[in-house]
Amino acid sequence: MNADPLAAISHLTAGRSQIGTSLSFHLFFAVLGVGLPLMMLVAEGMHLRTGDPVWRALARRWSKVFAVLFAVGAASGTIISFELGLLFPRFMAYAGGIIGLPFSLEGAWFFLEAIFAGIYLYGWNRLSPRAHWLSGFPIAISAVASAFFIVTANAWMNVPRGFQIVHGRVTHVDPLAAMFNPAWATETSHMVFGAYLATAFGIASVYAVGMLRGRRDAYHRKAIALALSIAAILAPLQLAVGDLLGRTVANHQPATLAAIEGVTRTERGAGLNIGGFPLPGHNGDVLNVKVPHLLSLLAFDSPNAPVRGLNTFPKADRTPLAPYVRLAFIGMVGIGTGLVALGLWYWLRRRPGSNGPEGRPTLIALAAAGPAAFLANELGWLVTELGRQPWIVYGVFRTSSGITTAPGLGVTFTAFTLLYFGLTALTLWTVRRIAARPIEGLPAAALGAA
Amino acid sequence: MSLAALIAILLGLSLTAYAIFAGADFGAGILDLFAGSRDADRTAIAATIGPVWEANHVWLIFSITILFSAFPAAFSALGTKLLAPLTVALLAIVLRSVALGLRASPGTTARARAMLSKLFGVASLIAPFLFGAVAGGLATVSSSRHLGAPLGPHVHWTGAFALVIGALAAALCAQLAASFVALRMVRSGEGRLAERFRLRGLQSGACVLLLSFAGPAVAAAAAPAVWHRLIGPALPIVIVGIGAAAMSLLAARRRRYLLARGASLLTGASVLGGWFVIQAPHLIGTRLTVHTAAATHPALVSMAIAGGIVLLLVLPAMYLLFAIFARPELEVIE
Repeated sequence: MNADPLAAISHLTAGRSQIGTSLSFHLFFAVLGVGLPLMMLVAEGMHLRTGDPVWRALARRWSKVFAVLFAVGAASGTIISFELGLLFPRFMAYAGGIIGLPFSLEGAWFFLEAIFAGIYLYGWNRLSPRAHWLSGFPIAISAVASAFFIVTANAWMNVPRGFQIVHGRVTHVDPLAAMFNPAWATETSHMVFGAYLATAFGIASVYAVGMLRGRRDAYHRKAIALALSIAAILAPLQLAVGDLLGRTVANHQPATLAAIEGVTRTERGAGLNIGGFPLPGHNGDVLNVKVPHLLSLLAFDSPNAPVRGLNTFPKADRTPLAPYVRLAFIGMVGIGTGLVALGLWYWLRRRPGSNGPEGRPTLIALAAAGPAAFLANELGWLVTELGRQPWIVYGVFRTSSGITTAPGLGVTFTAFTLLYFGLTALTLWTVRRIAARPIEGLPAAALGAA
Repeated sequence: MSLAALIAILLGLSLTAYAIFAGADFGAGILDLFAGSRDADRTAIAATIGPVWEANHVWLIFSITILFSAFPAAFSALGTKLLAPLTVALLAIVLRSVALGLRASPGTTARARAMLSKLFGVASLIAPFLFGAVAGGLATVSSSRHLGAPLGPHVHWTGAFALVIGALAAALCAQLAASFVALRMVRSGEGRLAERFRLRGLQSGACVLLLSFAGPAVAAAAAPAVWHRLIGPALPIVIVGIGAAAMSLLAARRRRYLLARGASLLTGASVLGGWFVIQAPHLIGTRLTVHTAAATHPALVSMAIAGGIVLLLVLPAMYLLFAIFARPELEVIE
């Protein structure tokens, strides 16, 4: 319908950029929406068990931050549910009837999260301490459930199942088979663990900065200890789940695997590239260490299994963004490995009954770990979304066929990008104001060296 | 009744819940805009909607998921034909949520609060106005009984009838909010504040009554297909709606706060119900109906099950939320 190919490309690029920006922005808040309720619950539970007012102060402080982030997250989530129809109406006309089930279940759980968030956030003085603590459980549970369902929909885009195409029409729809496609288990657990880890390291990071500024009290120590307890358990699990997810990709998205692992030509007994940054003109070999046979072993459980190279796919069927996919993947795995090491280090250095390591280098590493963990989540989504291109539904439906025919995407993209900059600035400013307030209801004695 | 019709009714109920409960939250923003420098009014408004507005808002997300899961072709056409007004409404919803969330958080300075209040108010006025205009525009292009219209018609959301419905939506939101806040203030023993919101209720209620006569009148002149449906199958609902609007005014006049709130909720539900009857079974235009736009049977079955789960889980939880905060004490905002 558009005679000028350049205009058509920029139309698609504008639409993709807009939904990509929206998802990256939303992810930050969604991750905290999943992770913070767990942190608040543990802290408040510790208060009920020990009676230590520091725990209650932490739970209250986090609940105030949660209130702001939840409002922004709910708003940015609404944007995405609209944008699916406004930007990719042809994709939704095609897929809505297949993956509607996880979307509506996600809606139902998000409903419960919002209802109990209202009760929890405004109920500190209206409910008994135990009832208040219990009202936090539905928040934590429904947050995980809604993340679970929405990610099954994404898993379907990667490994589509549960429908047939007959004469260009969707038939034989099986919503359960679509939802429980081969990627559901690995992708959802990778996301939920990722959310918990980013939140935990994020909290550790905030309080490590506080300690670096000289506020070495029980309030800061307890926050870091709680965060790193959760992180130390989950980080190794996340690495294992990541490996399983890699196998899912290997079995169902060969072109994506080739882009992720930087495999250009088909190799039998393929080695695993560690490093191998795809810089222009270097053919992916910059700082590369190749571990022989490891990729074949990891991906297909056999040291000599062939791994198909990216060049063997028709040009129209492979991602035009392969170097970025590879870079994002290296970044994610690198950060993840570093976080596992940091968690182990903290607990190995912690003596029973005393504080964890509080030297400057440890605190600086913790301070950096929070932003890094969030970055790893964002990079993981870049790997998924860019790695699947040019498909919106892998092997079945192209992104370019899903975009709207309505004009004006350049304008809406600009408007939403400005909106996100504004929202980010406002949110940061508000959270800083919350953090700058004195800790309420906490006597100085409670803050002494604990 | 077919499964598609059943899910269309579920969609209608979900949209109605959104219109009257989230409508009251939008109205709270409109009242906030007219509260001038009276901080007591703002506190009363914030205390009334604080715990519930996020949950009320989810009815919209739920409605959208029903629409795109059960009627994907209609969702697709709506998104394409209404990109501009829906994008602006979306921006308004986002800005008002964020402004309200940030304003309620501790440590905000007075100047920032004033700025956020203005943003909250203006955005709260724009969103229901645009939703009303979109509904009016959809009714105009979807109420005709003639066949052979184009598959995706142009939606005249800036037509005279659409604009009147937009204004009606905004006035109704303000009235709903006033009736919620007034009732809460009476129960908290805040007589002076209750009086002020009763007055707001009377003012916005008068606008609602006026516009609910103006709507059909404009339809008679500018949207004859809508007019024929209004005086045809939708007539009982129109009568109930206008009766409820009058009743709500009368009840507010006599300080029967609970009755006033009930009647304005009924007014809102009637407006939505009337809209559905005017254009049923058409979703957008006259060719995409509840049946022609429906997804496959298994998809509809899964939607019906999901809808059942929502009713079983969400409604009791929603009741709990409203019950906990119906207790008559003003929230201390820390």
